Amino acid sequence: MEYFLQQLINGLTLGAIYGLIAIGYTMVYGIIGMINFAHGEIYMIGAFVAVIAFIVLGLAGITWAPAAIALVLLLSMAFTAVYGWTVERFAYRPLRGAPRLAPLISAIGMSILLQNYVQLLQGARVKPIPPVVQGGFTIIERADGFAVNISYLQILIILTTVALMAGFTALINGTPLGRAQRACEQDKKMAGLLGVDVDRTISLTFVMGAALAAVAGVMVTMYYGVIDFFIGFLAGVKAFTAAVLGGIGSLPGAMLGGLAIGLIEAFWSGYFSIEYKDVAAFSILVLVLIFRPTGLLGRPEIEKV
Amino acid sequence: MTALDTAAATAAPVLLKVEHLCMRFGGLLAVNDVSFTAKAGQITAVIGPNGAGKTTVFNCITGFYRPSAGRLSFRGDDGTVHLLERLPGYRIAGIGVARTFQNIRLFPRMSVLENLMVAQHRPLMRASAFSVAGLLGLPSYRKAEREGVELARHWLERTGLVDVADWEAGNLPYGAQRRLEIARAMCTRPQLLCLDEPAAGLNPRESAELADLLRSIRDGEGIGVLLIEHDMSVVMTISDHVVVLDYGRKIAEGSPEAVRSDAAVIKAYLGEDEDDPLPPEVAADLGVRVDGEGA
Amino acid sequence: MTAATLNAGASRSVLPAALKEAAIAAVVALALTLPFVGLRTVDSPQGLTVVTRFGEVAIAVALVFIGRLGLVLVREGYAAAVLGASIAAAVVFWLAPFPTPPLRVIALGGAGVIAIRAALKLRDMRGGAAGQQARDNRADRFAAKVQELTRWLGPLVVLFAVALPFMPFAGRSVIDIGILLLTYIMLGWGLNIIVGYAGLLDLGYVAFYAVGAYSYALLAQYFGWSFWACLPLAGVLAAMAGLMLGFPVLRLRGDYFAIVTLGFGEIIRIVLLNWYDFTGGPNGISGIPRPDFFGIADFTRNPAEGKVAFHEMFGLEFDPLQRIIFLYYLILVLALAVNFFTLRIRKLPIGRAWEALREDEIACTALGIDRTRIKLAAFSISAMWGGFAGAFFATRQGFISPESFTFLESAIILAIVVLGGMGSQVGVVVATLIVIGLPEAFRELSEYRMLAFGMGMVLIMVWRPSGLLAHREPTVLLHGGRDARRKRAAAEARA
Repeated sequence: MEYFLQQLINGLTLGAIYGLIAIGYTMVYGIIGMINFAHGEIYMIGAFVAVIAFIVLGLAGITWAPAAIALVLLLSMAFTAVYGWTVERFAYRPLRGAPRLAPLISAIGMSILLQNYVQLLQGARVKPIPPVVQGGFTIIERADGFAVNISYLQILIILTTVALMAGFTALINGTPLGRAQRACEQDKKMAGLLGVDVDRTISLTFVMGAALAAVAGVMVTMYYGVIDFFIGFLAGVKAFTAAVLGGIGSLPGAMLGGLAIGLIEAFWSGYFSIEYKDVAAFSILVLVLIFRPTGLLGRPEIEKV
Repeated sequence: MTALDTAAATAAPVLLKVEHLCMRFGGLLAVNDVSFTAKAGQITAVIGPNGAGKTTVFNCITGFYRPSAGRLSFRGDDGTVHLLERLPGYRIAGIGVARTFQNIRLFPRMSVLENLMVAQHRPLMRASAFSVAGLLGLPSYRKAEREGVELARHWLERTGLVDVADWEAGNLPYGAQRRLEIARAMCTRPQLLCLDEPAAGLNPRESAELADLLRSIRDGEGIGVLLIEHDMSVVMTISDHVVVLDYGRKIAEGSPEAVRSDAAVIKAYLGEDEDDPLPPEVAADLGVRVDGEGA
Repeated sequence: MTAATLNAGASRSVLPAALKEAAIAAVVALALTLPFVGLRTVDSPQGLTVVTRFGEVAIAVALVFIGRLGLVLVREGYAAAVLGASIAAAVVFWLAPFPTPPLRVIALGGAGVIAIRAALKLRDMRGGAAGQQARDNRADRFAAKVQELTRWLGPLVVLFAVALPFMPFAGRSVIDIGILLLTYIMLGWGLNIIVGYAGLLDLGYVAFYAVGAYSYALLAQYFGWSFWACLPLAGVLAAMAGLMLGFPVLRLRGDYFAIVTLGFGEIIRIVLLNWYDFTGGPNGISGIPRPDFFGIADFTRNPAEGKVAFHEMFGLEFDPLQRIIFLYYLILVLALAVNFFTLRIRKLPIGRAWEALREDEIACTALGIDRTRIKLAAFSISAMWGGFAGAFFATRQGFISPESFTFLESAIILAIVVLGGMGSQVGVVVATLIVIGLPEAFRELSEYRMLAFGMGMVLIMVWRPSGLLAHREPTVLLHGGRDARRKRAAAEARA
């Protein structure tokens, strides 16, 4: 029971991170119907900016954790957003109206490009940083010494995610930008005729997706304390799985899917085998796509004749 | 199957019998209890205002939708009766139902001739012994391929596309693409040819040519033609039998003359208020005499 | 209105706008390069720290500013001036000192791209037709010419390939590179069936390569079967793997299909990695038997009891190169078999159905084509060739491990197909020479290989989404002959 509780906490933390990345997939898919394969790399970029920012802030003497974290979050979101914008501008925008698979191939190329760009500039070795937030609560302590812990960092991750999700939902539902975005999802041509700047809306979608992925990157950097240039691939596939599981195109679905993937992974490695935890994620992806391609909250798609 | 048998005893054999067809999308009843028949050697037209459920009926017959209720029985050329609602889509072409699409669906980057060769996929696939004979280049397959090209040439001649046979289908002008789609459907050697708005987007001259082509298919091949059409001039001149749908229901059926004077049809097309004078072009299409316009 | 008068009228307002646009690009470049180029994380005794490289950032930003300005000016009609300036800049960059060689390459490349853009613009301004459509037509005509050339150049290339091992310059390394290139050409041709013809994006092709390689390695290890017995089995097993994986996923839409195949590829790799008892896990399988001469003779100096040595059989001196040359011919024959098969099946009903499916699945159903079965055939045939290639890979290397079967490998094979032009057999050869051959030729730049590779994929897609040499010849003609073909091309171009 205690072990279960501990895996639940770990799974929720992991799920929050996957959910943040999954939102980027789901929004982009919703608006231009493509799988942004490079999104995992964007998250990796966010994590690297975080590492660099932590070091620079440390050198500058800003070591008070709340200030450092807030600054790193802001810096990482800002710089990563520029990457998101640039990727869209160069690799996807020229391909509007191209055959359906062309943007996907372009995205794979972009993913390889970004991975090697970071590897070349920052080196292939893992990047460790000292822990930023330490300590936590012990919820239950068993007689044999097994304790169920929730760290301050886990609380921070879950709370940040919830806050971002709430703010984000408000943004999509309540602002002109959100309205423009939803209009573009339905019919880009018509939205354009009605005065919505479609290119700008799509750009902003990438910017927002990248900023959220950057948050996930910052959180992962603090949570594991070590990153490398290759983390984007696996996290990307898992987050994409989360987006599909939740129903691609649906924001609550992305969050729900993220939590599901995080929990499955935590329990799988807790109770079965840690080696095959990635197989679990991939198997879920395959099974969901085969048996319920619309996901948990997605709308069914009718083949138009 | 007694109903089909008795019908077959009358002049033209019944090819397709639609009985109590219903199609429901979520809460929307798109087709509600529609029944009609299509006979060999006849052109049957399904008409109706926009959203009347014509294309839905069509998609049920050709296997793209599975009807919510009803029966669709089709008599193949060997006399066996097939229940279309139980067959997977690709089997329906195999038993002799061919169709075209409202928004033309050619293979745009393949040549015109290749489009017609793909239509003969099933017989050619058998002849190639699932590619084994074809890979070995056996004479039996070569002969089948030559015959396929000849059938294609026949339909290219009938549709006036011989000169452009080696063009990419996507480079053809619009009217030629429409004709190619009909030629492609005919290359499946169908018993029943289903055409979804074949005259859409054609100019009057092309429409007239289309009417001639359809008549020659009906008379020359002796097969049944089922068409959905908006262009009344085409429907009224070539149809032998007209079925009128409105809001998913059949509101009238009969010869073109009978249908054009049917009160329910006029109401469906022109609205409730019968005091309004008809726009002259609509009146001309329907062949209705409008009061005050004289004869 | 001529371009000159257009320029004169607009010149006053163009420059500030162009400067503004260039400045925005420079700011973006600053944001992109500042954290990654400007601050490099390095290990130090006190943990991670950063060293700065702001000089490079400044150069990069300046280059982006000038480059963007050049592109804007080209767009506004100052192509001639920009062409001159960019060529001059290229000369300067060639001579000027740069802090690091990559920056020089980037600068030169940038100048080159701008020069090409300016030259193209000049040509468009002179000679009528401009725009994407005209460029596509030009590229298609070029591809058609290349394909026509292949008719007689192809046999010559094959002859050259056959004679290669006996050329005076052909040492061990040349033949090794030949084997490498041919392996990728074979894989590219195999993948072309599913991606190029059937239009299904398979991101997990390497899985079948792995199935083939491990089939041979395991059968040889556990049962001691010979390569010649295992080669067909490896193909059959890969084809069966294709059937099993394909059956549930082939009804999925394009991009979902792509992701599922990626998932399968990774699952197979992770299983190979973790199933220590059976596959050796990350250590892989070593000591895989090398092929013998069709079971008749061995390529060893002193063959085992009861075996014949190849060199004795043919009365030659013993030379370890003999086995390499044999491997070279083996992969040459395998690759040519794939090509021959593909060219042939393309003209059969099943091949036409593949291409028709790529064009319009719904129309195919209406014509009585069972989509699933046709796709399954493409998927498993494609997998089968991957399996053959895998068995060859295993016997050539003598050692395999999951390392060789990562997603990147799938991406490289896919890039070969896409770059060459989907459905183009010549394209695969040309693309293999570019993707595999160039990095082999410039070994010292190998760390930039994958970077350039990713960039190449993006650029090709943006520039010509259908690939470099994508041109389709009909599989059957009603009016055959050269003249008819030329007349048709002309008439189609007018239409």
